[in-house]
Amino acid sequence: MHIPDGYLGPQTYAVLDAAIIPIWIVAGGRIKKALKTKQVPLLALGAAFSFVIMMFNVPVIGGSTGHAVGATLIAIILGPWAACIAVSISLVVQALVFGDGGITAIGANVINMAVVMPFVGFYLYRLIAGDDPSPARRVTAAGIGSYLGIVAAAVAAGIEFGIQPLIAHTASGQALYAPYPLNVAVPAMALEHMLFFGPLEAVVTMGIVVVLARQDSALLQMKPAAKPLRWLWAGFAGLLLLTPLGTLAPGTAWGEWSVSELKAAVGYVPAGLEKVGGLWTATIPDYAPSVIRDPLVGYFLAAVVGAALVVGVTWVIGKLLARRDGGSAHPTPPGGAA
Amino acid sequence: MTDEFVLSGVVHAYGAGVRALDGIDLTIGSGQHVAIVGANGSGKSTLLKMLDGLVFCDSGTITAFGRPLTEDALEDPSFRREFRSRVGFVFQDADVQLFCNTVFDELAFGPLQLGLPHDEVRSRVGEVAEALRIDKLLDRAPYMLSGGEKKRVAIASVLTMRPQVLLMDEPTNALDPRSQVWLLGVLAQWKAEGRTVVIATHDLSAAAESCDRMVVLSEEHAVAADGTPDEVLGQRELLLSVNLIHEHEHRHHGSEHMHGHAHGHIHA
Amino acid sequence: MIPVLAHISDTAPRKRGGVRSLARRTADTISGAVREVLENDDLASSPGLMQALDPRVKLVSIVLFAVTASFVHSLAVLVALVLATMVLAAASGVGIGSFARKVWSSAGLFGVLLSAPAATAWITPGAVLVPLGPLSITAPGLLIAARLITRVAAGAGFGLLVVWTTRWTDLLRALGALGVPDLVVATLAMTQKQIMSLLRTVENMHLARESRMLSGGTAKENRGWVVERMAFVARRSMKTADDVYDAMLSRGFAGEMPSLVDLRATARDRIWLAASAAACVLAIGLDRMVLPL
Repeated sequence: MHIPDGYLGPQTYAVLDAAIIPIWIVAGGRIKKALKTKQVPLLALGAAFSFVIMMFNVPVIGGSTGHAVGATLIAIILGPWAACIAVSISLVVQALVFGDGGITAIGANVINMAVVMPFVGFYLYRLIAGDDPSPARRVTAAGIGSYLGIVAAAVAAGIEFGIQPLIAHTASGQALYAPYPLNVAVPAMALEHMLFFGPLEAVVTMGIVVVLARQDSALLQMKPAAKPLRWLWAGFAGLLLLTPLGTLAPGTAWGEWSVSELKAAVGYVPAGLEKVGGLWTATIPDYAPSVIRDPLVGYFLAAVVGAALVVGVTWVIGKLLARRDGGSAHPTPPGGAA
Repeated sequence: MTDEFVLSGVVHAYGAGVRALDGIDLTIGSGQHVAIVGANGSGKSTLLKMLDGLVFCDSGTITAFGRPLTEDALEDPSFRREFRSRVGFVFQDADVQLFCNTVFDELAFGPLQLGLPHDEVRSRVGEVAEALRIDKLLDRAPYMLSGGEKKRVAIASVLTMRPQVLLMDEPTNALDPRSQVWLLGVLAQWKAEGRTVVIATHDLSAAAESCDRMVVLSEEHAVAADGTPDEVLGQRELLLSVNLIHEHEHRHHGSEHMHGHAHGHIHA
Repeated sequence: MIPVLAHISDTAPRKRGGVRSLARRTADTISGAVREVLENDDLASSPGLMQALDPRVKLVSIVLFAVTASFVHSLAVLVALVLATMVLAAASGVGIGSFARKVWSSAGLFGVLLSAPAATAWITPGAVLVPLGPLSITAPGLLIAARLITRVAAGAGFGLLVVWTTRWTDLLRALGALGVPDLVVATLAMTQKQIMSLLRTVENMHLARESRMLSGGTAKENRGWVVERMAFVARRSMKTADDVYDAMLSRGFAGEMPSLVDLRATARDRIWLAASAAACVLAIGLDRMVLPL
């Protein structure tokens, strides 16, 4: 999944390269608190382990082999923040020592393999495994977490590739960097990982967890899922910011055509649709508040309003449910369900 | 002669009741060269690590230079600096000890941690590098060196801190014969300089040659004997019982016989 | 995508007339990688144009070059950049043949495979050059592919050149001098050393397996073995971390990694930096003029 230089344009790589600096700084702070002075050798060994894991040829089926990334496994052993740094270091060494992997693309690779993969994988693992899991449950959690972790990373990579033709093209519309649009890049990456690399990653992670649980269970001590809510909010906010991307897609989403669009497309309008079509007039039609000129800003504001409504309603429901249950043992955190 | 280390009733367990040391009473005076011998698993390495404040006892007391050697005591920066500079540990596996970018950095690490000024650090590095004849290697990455070179760098990295006490874990292990001879020479020089040396080893002949006192650890993790090498090595039954030597039939000089011996050295 | 290191040039001699077992192939790949790193030190210490430059300058140059390449869109200027890396390689005593081969195997091959579909009418419709039905190669498609491959090769080539002509120890010192925190540099140094040590262990594991197996073994058996070995490496790594930590404590480590940095830039370095900056500006300027090729 390593992206070399030349596939991502400066608009993309500059943003991603800059984005990882605060991530690393935060990770450094968290690790210092958790590991104290032992962080240097633990991270170095974690990084070396991550590097070496990627070198094992794992037989898949017939004569084919693949490689595992191991980021979720490392997150299970060292915690997600340490895994982030360990995999990042491994990627840097790969690029600078073995000449493998791009320099400008470091940001993208770190985001995919050292942020998305370990965090998605770890939090899913924690969610499924609970606080004191039986070995079977732990293994299942590890398998699901690592599978979805690597698929999520692949989708992220697919998105990074796929937006290139949108962002950078010649006057005649030809892509200047990675030439495949979103509707080719994302499915390609997703399918490749859902069908091949994902199962491989899951099998490897589960297998190692099984052996470790038997021989050295101290290594698999549950790491705290520290303050997950804060990061969910951060992620949520990030998604909010990205909503204007939707304006880049031409046309209307499948199945959401208006009456007039349908008529123009196929030549007639089904009777039922005609009757119901104009019943409800939206408050913010087409995600574009009439007072705002700039469509991007309007889109974003619509997202904020919509998100606030969803969050507010969920919170109220959560509070009502908690009251009905007579006050639960776990105080509901602000925001209701997380 | 002052007492450098005093151990009294020291017990250390790995957890789950597995003991590494079981009631050790030991006093090490300054200037002594002590060999801690015992079969594998008798607790020699643990004892050495305890002397270096890397491992702490579950019961019993240990004092170093008159002060109790505990985890809390080492939290105090001035005691830590004093202790770390006075006691140097050469690990069994040199690789573990060589973790810096270059050999120069390796030698400079200790003095820099002690807070010495950069000129002082540089001069110490140069001095020790020359003495151990690794000055040509200062710019190299440690993982590229040969086994013997690594050992010399490992020892040098400890010597730049000018320790009064040197702890060595299985120093002759994995050394070729010529390097072993060199090491024995270094030990002799340290004796002349009055440094205190404690070696953990199962190499009885090296121990006998370089040390003036031998402490035997039994497989029950307690002290089984403590005296001069001649005294200790003369107690054949004892050595057999702690599994330090063994007997089996073997040939030399054309006839078969049995006597106690340890493998690892050549005898005619 | 093609995973990392699957394309590290497999320089070990092939057994004639036989298919090497998986264990053997992995062992060979690893030993090849280790040998490359060790040989790199020799090359980086020998006299040459790039070797003589301050490592900080070289690090800055990689970024400069990669960024410039990403702004250049005309095929002509991109090809010129590739040629420039070849000239620098020659001036540094790097064999052009092995250099080209390594760039090809690490970036070029992958680039061709990845951009192949883009050269066809399926992705890039346009004037057909080679009629192959829906997969016909089109002129605009070929241009896109060529542009991508050349840019990738240029960036990879220059990066490789710097890596081959700089000792890792110097690279680390340069990173420290450029503002990377001491703890990070120390961790990078330790990582590299542990990687070399672990690689040797893993190589031996695979060779031992090779020598004990009579036949290839089923995929499931082999997979089970690989997974068990990875678990072993995991435990070994954590134990080693403990040991190294003890060694660090023993020499007074208390959380800081102070270091003595000794890098001094010479006139040659300043000239190189100025010349590179000028060359980059020139490249981008030419690019704007030569466009739309």
